[in-house]
Amino acid sequence: MDMKRSYYEDIQFFSSGVALFWFVGLMAFLAVFPLLFKNYFVYVANYVAINIIVVLGLNILVGYTGLISLGHAGFFAIGAYGTVILMTRLSMPFLLALPLAALAAALFGFLLGLPALRLEGPYLTIATLGFGLTITQVIGRIELFGGRQGLHTPELVIGPWNLDNDRAFYYLVIVITVLMTVFARNLIRTRVGRAFIAIRDADIAAETMGVNLVFYKTLSFAVSAFYAGVAGGLYAFVLRFIEPEIFSLLMSIMFLAMVVVGGLGSIMGAIVGAGLLSWLDLQLRNILSIPYVGQWLEHLSESYFSITGVSNIQFILFGLIMILIMLFEPLGIFGIWVRTKKYWKTWPF
Amino acid sequence: MKKRMLWTVLAAAAALALAFTPAGWAEEGVSANEIQIGQWGPQTGPAAAWGSVARGTGAYFKMINAQGGINGRKIVYHMFDDAYNPAKTKAGVKELQEGIGMFAWVGGVGTAPGLAVKDYLMKRKVPWIGPSSGSLHWITPPEKYLFTVYPMYATEARILCRYAVEKLGKKKFAIIYQNDDYGKNGVKGAREELAKHGLKLVAEVPVEVKEGDLKPHVMKLKKSGADAVLLWTSVKHAVMTVGISKAMKFAPQFLSTSTCSDFVLMNLISKGLWKGVIATTFALLPDSDNPLMKKYKTEAFDKYAGKDERWGLFFYAGIAFAEPLVEAIRQCGKDLTRENLVRKLEAMKNFQGISGKISYAPFNPKDPACRRGQNSSFLVQCLEGGKAKKLSGWITIDD
Amino acid sequence: MIEFIQMLVNGITAGSSYALMGLAMVIIYKTSEVPNFAQGEMALATTYFAYMLLHSLGFSMPAAFGLALLFSFALGCFLEFAVLRRAKETSILGMIVITIGLEMVLMGFVSWKFGAEQKAMPFPLTPYDSVVIGDVFISSLELLTFGVTLLLMLALFVFFRYSKLGVAMKATQQNRMAARLMGIHTNRVLMITWGLSSLVGGIAGLLIAPVMMQPYMMWDPLLKGFAAAVMGGMTSLPGAVFGAYLLGIVENLFGGYVSLEFKSVVAFAVIVLVLCVKPSGIFARHYVKKV
Repeated sequence: MDMKRSYYEDIQFFSSGVALFWFVGLMAFLAVFPLLFKNYFVYVANYVAINIIVVLGLNILVGYTGLISLGHAGFFAIGAYGTVILMTRLSMPFLLALPLAALAAALFGFLLGLPALRLEGPYLTIATLGFGLTITQVIGRIELFGGRQGLHTPELVIGPWNLDNDRAFYYLVIVITVLMTVFARNLIRTRVGRAFIAIRDADIAAETMGVNLVFYKTLSFAVSAFYAGVAGGLYAFVLRFIEPEIFSLLMSIMFLAMVVVGGLGSIMGAIVGAGLLSWLDLQLRNILSIPYVGQWLEHLSESYFSITGVSNIQFILFGLIMILIMLFEPLGIFGIWVRTKKYWKTWPF
Repeated sequence: MKKRMLWTVLAAAAALALAFTPAGWAEEGVSANEIQIGQWGPQTGPAAAWGSVARGTGAYFKMINAQGGINGRKIVYHMFDDAYNPAKTKAGVKELQEGIGMFAWVGGVGTAPGLAVKDYLMKRKVPWIGPSSGSLHWITPPEKYLFTVYPMYATEARILCRYAVEKLGKKKFAIIYQNDDYGKNGVKGAREELAKHGLKLVAEVPVEVKEGDLKPHVMKLKKSGADAVLLWTSVKHAVMTVGISKAMKFAPQFLSTSTCSDFVLMNLISKGLWKGVIATTFALLPDSDNPLMKKYKTEAFDKYAGKDERWGLFFYAGIAFAEPLVEAIRQCGKDLTRENLVRKLEAMKNFQGISGKISYAPFNPKDPACRRGQNSSFLVQCLEGGKAKKLSGWITIDD
Repeated sequence: MIEFIQMLVNGITAGSSYALMGLAMVIIYKTSEVPNFAQGEMALATTYFAYMLLHSLGFSMPAAFGLALLFSFALGCFLEFAVLRRAKETSILGMIVITIGLEMVLMGFVSWKFGAEQKAMPFPLTPYDSVVIGDVFISSLELLTFGVTLLLMLALFVFFRYSKLGVAMKATQQNRMAARLMGIHTNRVLMITWGLSSLVGGIAGLLIAPVMMQPYMMWDPLLKGFAAAVMGGMTSLPGAVFGAYLLGIVENLFGGYVSLEFKSVVAFAVIVLVLCVKPSGIFARHYVKKV
């Protein structure tokens, strides 16, 4: 939207002083957030932040490179299981176990990227879907990983701090999230990021320009898998108990929906999409407690529908929100933001 | 857009935060005239059929409140939907525990969702009675504030095997089991019991939760030549197994867990094929003459259950899981604190509501039985039209 | 040997229900280039509609099934008209997310109205009576499903190749603008396509319902049907059916001889292998994208 007049302007981190100001403001708010709100909201924030990390990674794959993956729950699982296993069996400290587990996930991402070189569209979807299912099945089979009974997460001790409550854990999660966001944003501005975008727009043309498809496509898979692995490792500590069934196809579908609804190909879109949908996921069940709406819904249930299934309204609302956002703005929530900005830029003409 | 949303969230959060400050409670979740009790349940999602457990408890509490509450206090029941997703379970439990503050938690379907919140509740010393799953995870290691009511899956397996070996003379046992904690516990129990009789399982067939085609599984069962097959799966898979077996002309004696002991439902879904299946059950039959069952049916179910609710096992299981809690609260009298509740529960010996005899013992970290409420079931067999015939009295496994 | 044949037969019968779902998905993909994730729930809605007619309103079986199939056609048309058409210039991913949203809405409505407990669907044939050929068992319902699948496949094949509407559909897929210029009402064609696909899905749902009927019954067939269609080629109807049978056979043989736990995993592994060799599926022509 804004014209860039020099290479430096294109790659600088803050596009203007205003952006810097808001960024500092946001960081300050995030830092004091746990002190302002109850513990439950901090838990929700942790959950949302973890989803943000995954979706950032998935955005690199889907939004910037134009591939598709319905198997990210598999990388998520590798991150979670990897971290827990490394910490319990090999007594590694958390700060070492998490990157290692994420690297393992990245390795699997690379492996998945190889058959993906020739596939596209629904074919790639099925291949990645199969991969996600395979991972959970294999993990469930290996008794070393707790098999189907699942694993308990150990205590999280970093240096002198024991992060055993939500507020303490929040600081860890937020720091990691901010770091990963900065990393993603910078990645897009480098040569690698430009290669991804070129692949998305026209991969054959990109190859003729010298972009090595094999390298960059697998790299894209590996990077997005790394993000999912990091998020998975953190998720194990949010839940304190992991088992293979949690990392289901539904989770992969949710991740994909978050990316698309938020806005493909934009960092902020990924954050907003993840934030909105994961928050809705956790909070929509409370719809029956809203004073008038809840009673009206229950009354409706008793007359026309079944009262036993009344909680399914969550699904209906969730689906409706997704559909409406996609119908009104194909570019997702970020598209709405861009449109609003454009409108106000030339107001009142 | 993002900023606007942020402000809305902030405003809403501030409002919520202000609304939820508890005022002057002696014990968390207890006031002079209210007791806050919570439960989670899968009201949506693949496990939604188990949602009736939480609703059953709700109807039971409404009945108690209609009769004046317990010692002058009414029960305020908080039930939420977790769709069998542990992240949601944890969110809901935290929200209720830190927002309103629950005195105790009751029931709660699912081993995985329950395990996600177990440490959280135990660390805060919040009592939790009657998780709706028979996993050994609850009592190994035993926790001071966690009391089980549902008999262990392994125990049910042992009771079934013992009966089949001793009374029916079956020699070749096979088991078809759901490939998770529930199924594996069944396999464990079966192996233990059969080993005591010098037998082994001739086939162990795992089934994935989402499996849609059970023909290869049944073929494997048939190939093993078993004359007794233990069904340790969900309702849907159990019916499919029995049906496909009939199609393949394979007719062993089917032995099932309490999950599939709701014969009216099973008969309906299997179109009459459930006849002859033997099941364990941990609560009385729906049409039993027991005065307590009749009372629950008229006072709780008829008055407070939803129009399309069914008087089935899952519904009154919700009542069965809450009975010990209600009894213990009653015994506490005016002095209702968590420690007192735990003491009264530990002193409970052979308490019987609509399930078997429930006994606890003072807390001993080395003895799982101190928190294991009941280890007995009785056996029923399905007759024509979904009626049930009692095959035995309450069988207890002590060894 | 008998066991092997029984497993083959089991695989083929299992493949039939996947084939129907695969056919439904391919029909939509051929015209709109969108893999329709809501397919399963559209079939679910049809099935529960039939159940409602049979159970609460006391219709007779043929009437109820007939009306349900009409309902499924109408539902497909309605969804295309009301939702998909309103999506202007949405990318493929956007359309996928819309279908996922539709899937959630439909699932929510069905669960809300009917509750989550498993129900029993009255049906003339039960899956529990079997026909015995030699030493091999096939249940009568499976035989019916198999027959219906083959019939439908032939009917659709003939329809697409020889009937005016079928050719119009193929034209719409190949080049929508040119089709409009040729005088084809592309909007109407798209609507009918969705209706047709929903109809096929509805038949699948009605044939699965006697075995199990609960809100999550269509997830597994949908997944397997989608995978089968992908393996056979998303733009080829016989491909979807072939892929489905192949999938069923591989699953059953592997389950019988090697391991039951990894049944689905191996099925997907086979699909990925096939896709590595033939990136657009077995039967579809691989169009190399021009820049």
